[in-house]
Amino acid sequence: MSGNRPIKFRILEILLDGKERWNYEVVSKIQEEYGMRSNFHRDSINFDILELASGGMLKDVEQKVDEDGIYKKGFLLHKYVITDFGKARGSDACLRYV
Amino acid sequence: MDLKSLKKQESKRKISKGYMWALFCAVFWGIWYLPGTVVWVLNPFDEMYGAIAETGGDGTALIVTAVLITAFNALTVMLALMLWNGVLGKYGELVRTMKEFHPCSKWFFLASIFGGPMAILGSFIAMGFIGGAFAAVAALLYPVVGSILAYYWYGEKISKRAAIGIGVIIVGGVTIFGGGLLTELSSGNVQWIGYLGGLMAAAGWGIEGAIAGKGLDISEPDVGLTLRFVGENIIWWIIIVPILAVFGYPMYSFALQAFEPMTLLVLIFAGITFGFCYVCWYKSFPLIGVGRGQGIGNLYGLFAIIFIFLFFGDVPQWTILVGGTLCVIGSFVMFTEDTSELETLRGE
Repeated sequence: MSGNRPIKFRILEILLDGKERWNYEVVSKIQEEYGMRSNFHRDSINFDILELASGGMLKDVEQKVDEDGIYKKGFLLHKYVITDFGKARGSDACLRYV
Repeated sequence: MDLKSLKKQESKRKISKGYMWALFCAVFWGIWYLPGTVVWVLNPFDEMYGAIAETGGDGTALIVTAVLITAFNALTVMLALMLWNGVLGKYGELVRTMKEFHPCSKWFFLASIFGGPMAILGSFIAMGFIGGAFAAVAALLYPVVGSILAYYWYGEKISKRAAIGIGVIIVGGVTIFGGGLLTELSSGNVQWIGYLGGLMAAAGWGIEGAIAGKGLDISEPDVGLTLRFVGENIIWWIIIVPILAVFGYPMYSFALQAFEPMTLLVLIFAGITFGFCYVCWYKSFPLIGVGRGQGIGNLYGLFAIIFIFLFFGDVPQWTILVGGTLCVIGSFVMFTEDTSELETLRGE
């Protein structure tokens, strides 16, 4: 099933269980599933998460400074949870396959 | 740096990025009116207009010619976007998104109906009947349609300040629009089809933005907008152009004549500027919202007037200058909005 749906669908699908996840966890999972290894793709996937958050589908619940360089050293790491609107849009788009 | 200031810095970066995309959209969009105006006097479109006008009258000739020009515009925009997606390595995502017709890509095809046969055709009609500067400023009213639809349909927030900014922009647009209309009214020769084209552009783009937002929620803008132009090409080349050909209009014979260097160059120029204006437009929406993205993008009206003045030497009327200034002021009212309000754009 993985790797054959639009990336934003998959991001919502991953978060649909309502658990909070760090952006680097989601990004690296997508990178692995879709075989997108480059830094360009990493940033592009992270931008998808940003877009979903500013679209009101994900909520940024916690931030920490990336001291160790897990994702990008010196930048912020974000923890996201899906919103009700995100659940509605996500299950609209994703659940018929689950 | 502590967490709080880093957070603030990041949010600021996101919002300024959104405004930057919107501003680029305005520049590209403004430039687009140059090839859009020039293409009317190039063959085969000039000859086509003459040939149809002989038998069918000026009005029909202009609309049928506008259809063919819009169809070629859609084609070159799609090619430019295909190239763009190739550079970004997004063909895989393009196919994945296209397959999701029900939840996603149907919104892009729906948006293409309002964007293509309504907004872009209307713009070309306005350019052909009245002129590039008018076509550009007539469409300035589209954020009203877009913002109101986005507000009622998916509850996008419009702050008081953004509403004031949009209001000022509209007053500016109406000033420019009204100036030309009043001059024509006094001379007793009003090009109503041209003004209708202007209104089609305003309503079409407003509706397009609001509909496209539904699909953009859950897809990547580069991909979404390419699909929107794939939709428009289907509408023109598979539906409308063949239908007009069946009715006896010489669509194909003139379409084949478009492959001459100068015409192709102008069409490609139109495709690149318009394609990238859309890329920037759609990229700004998720960052600053449909209403604001459209508001800043609205500066294109002023850019179009400046470019038309620089390249064609058309000196604008004073109403156009006053209206243009109002548009800048309105956009800056929105631009200087307190950024903290923007952290979540939609109600939860």
